[in-house]
Amino acid sequence: MLSRRRFIGTAALVSAGAVSGRVQAAAIPEAPIMEKAVMQPPLHPTSGPDYRPVVTLNGWSLPWRMNGDWKEFHLIAEPVVREFSPGMKVHLWGYNGQSPGPTIEAVEGDKVRIFVTNKLPEQTTVHWHGVLLPNGMDGVGGLNQPHIPPGKTFVYEFQMKHSGTFMYHPHSDEMVQMAMGMMGMIVVHPRDPNFRPVDRDFVFIMSTYLIDPGTYLPKVTEMTDFNMWTWNSRVFPGIDPLAVRLNDKVRVRIGNLTMTNHPIHLHGHSFSVSCTDGGWVPESAQWPETTIDVPVGAIRAFDVVADNPGDWAFHCHKSHHTMNAMGHDVRNFIGVSKKDLAKAVGKLAPDAMVMGSTGMAMGEMEMPAPDNTLPMMTGSGQFGPIEMGGMFTVMKIREGLAPDDYSDPGPYKYPAGTVAFEVAAPSEQPMRKDKPASIPKEGDMKAKKRMKG
Amino acid sequence: MEVERQVVGDILALATLPFRSDIARDRFRKAQLRAAEDTLRLAAEVRRTYYRAVAANELVVLFTDAKSTAESTAQLAEQLGRTGSLNKLDQAREQAFYAETTADLAALRQEAASSREQLIRLLGLWGGDIGIRLPQRLPTLPGRPRSLPRIEVDAVGHRLDLQMARIELLALAKAMQLTQASRFVTLLDVAGIDKKTRELEGPPFKERGFDIQFQIPVFDGGEVGVRQATEIYNQAFNLLTEKAVNVRSEARNAYRVYRSTYDIAGHYQREVLPLRQIISEEMQLRFSSMQVDVFALLTEARQRLAVLRAAIDAKRDFWLAESELQTAVNGGGRRAGEEQPSGSRSTTTAQAGGGH
Repeated sequence: MLSRRRFIGTAALVSAGAVSGRVQAAAIPEAPIMEKAVMQPPLHPTSGPDYRPVVTLNGWSLPWRMNGDWKEFHLIAEPVVREFSPGMKVHLWGYNGQSPGPTIEAVEGDKVRIFVTNKLPEQTTVHWHGVLLPNGMDGVGGLNQPHIPPGKTFVYEFQMKHSGTFMYHPHSDEMVQMAMGMMGMIVVHPRDPNFRPVDRDFVFIMSTYLIDPGTYLPKVTEMTDFNMWTWNSRVFPGIDPLAVRLNDKVRVRIGNLTMTNHPIHLHGHSFSVSCTDGGWVPESAQWPETTIDVPVGAIRAFDVVADNPGDWAFHCHKSHHTMNAMGHDVRNFIGVSKKDLAKAVGKLAPDAMVMGSTGMAMGEMEMPAPDNTLPMMTGSGQFGPIEMGGMFTVMKIREGLAPDDYSDPGPYKYPAGTVAFEVAAPSEQPMRKDKPASIPKEGDMKAKKRMKG
Repeated sequence: MEVERQVVGDILALATLPFRSDIARDRFRKAQLRAAEDTLRLAAEVRRTYYRAVAANELVVLFTDAKSTAESTAQLAEQLGRTGSLNKLDQAREQAFYAETTADLAALRQEAASSREQLIRLLGLWGGDIGIRLPQRLPTLPGRPRSLPRIEVDAVGHRLDLQMARIELLALAKAMQLTQASRFVTLLDVAGIDKKTRELEGPPFKERGFDIQFQIPVFDGGEVGVRQATEIYNQAFNLLTEKAVNVRSEARNAYRVYRSTYDIAGHYQREVLPLRQIISEEMQLRFSSMQVDVFALLTEARQRLAVLRAAIDAKRDFWLAESELQTAVNGGGRRAGEEQPSGSRSTTTAQAGGGH
């Protein structure tokens, strides 16, 4: 067990002897287990055709072994505990110790043999979303194959005919298993290393959960009202930053297995979608954008030249998706006198702080929450609280990073005079041509008879 | 209970000292016993009124606080109406709780004042004494309920109404000039209590309070001349027997009520209130982490209020039952047909919060 774990993030296993043929398939390869939720270094291939490996945000790539001309992988479907961000752990189902599962990397034309061992309490299958393969390998339980019963191992064999970005997930009790976090990414590199090469290649998958404050298990029957919007089952500030060297060409591959679309926005740059799960987008068909909408059940990869140094916010543009768990049935207290609100709150919740009369900005102060519940908005930067959560992280573009260095370079050091600053404002209100429309006073009740106690 | 028994015992001693006297003296003694029983009855009434008054005080404290909470949220609702965040329907809902709580508080204050006045009347206070201060809270429950395995023996031995019936019987015997007692029985015999069984229950029986051997003569009606008198006597004897059996039953029941009200009140203290406390704290955490707003806290507060009220009612019912226990043993209980000590007099708010 120990040796198996030590092997993580080092290199792919190479089988001892030169073995080949279907007979050898019976000998099942090692199934490495990941125990960490931080980004693992890129897994450079030690055999087979060369490629520039991807890095997975808060994730890892699955090591493989060569068996003749077959690349052999081993996925174990099993219950896992995933940390969403420090302070919150969720009981999910996943693969090889984490949810989502490891990224599977291969090269265009590779023959892959993927062993799937089911350690779940119920049957499962794996569907290889977007990969063009023979029908019997497509993984729809009942339709294309028998379901994999608990305790059993099935093997999938097919050829990666096309390069691109794909996903894998169960197609057996699919709703529950995906709501429990069973999914992962597949990256198939072009055989020609000169086809649209990039310097840094990031990948992650989006998933959503409804986890009631104080609980540890997602509600799997929820369809719309999720409260945890995750990238690789992580939320801000738990999502790794994307460390990028200035002027690197960067590719970000994003899968969406949530039940809504996510407009993913990168500040400070313009870019285009270069690849979907259907294949590469011809350059002539690309158009410049700053927000890429990733539809449900699809991937989008965009290529960007990181020519603008700094700390650039990178997030879903649905503002509720950059929040952690919050109530949706909460009244708007803006405009109420803080004194009155404090009086009511003081009576009902003596320990709580008064919020909402001017907005919800809480500043540096974080309020006590139920067990296993992250603050609705949190995180802090060099200038103060960032007040975000969910699908939010930062692309950190710096000069002089080493090629394979993906570690957090820390806060950006702004050149003098390049940060917005306060000026001495005139004490009077600025002149306005028209007076603003006043708020109608008539909201209060007509007949308010109160007994005097 | 002991103190009371001693006071009454003194009155009884006056009645029983010159025992072997004539019928008139017996009748007089009976009148004295009746006076003693009236004293016990008054004491019981004082106890009941006292616990009612203190319970009302405790509820007034609770509802005064609740009213001030309701008032501040009602004001908040009003403000939210002005800022445009709350419609008339929701404003009215928030105002309604305030209005209801105010009405409940008024009713409770009235009850507290009335029971206090009743107590003043019962104690015969006037002038400067009517300024008595009653506690704001009922005493806490005793750590464990009393174990009274001999309560039936106690009751048959001590109930004043039973003693009166016995003296009446003796007077009757004298009036009938019955002299030839064939044997003697005691009240315990009459009530069917086996003297031997009580020794099985641990410490030897120790008679306290009235230290008198209540003997009752049994006559046989052999002579024709006294036969009718004997029948009249026997009829009275049977009535006494019935009364003694009833006293046993009342004592049993009083103890059962005492135990069950203790268990109910204890259940509120040990189970229900701590659970409400957890709910309250968890709701506050949900409020401070922006999962719910302040009006959700208010809903929770209303449910909590109903439970706190029920807990006070349960505690009051225990102390009332404790008082009934004393009257069941010593006498001074209500005469037949009087109202029973009813438990909860819940008003609208007691249920108001339970709408979830």
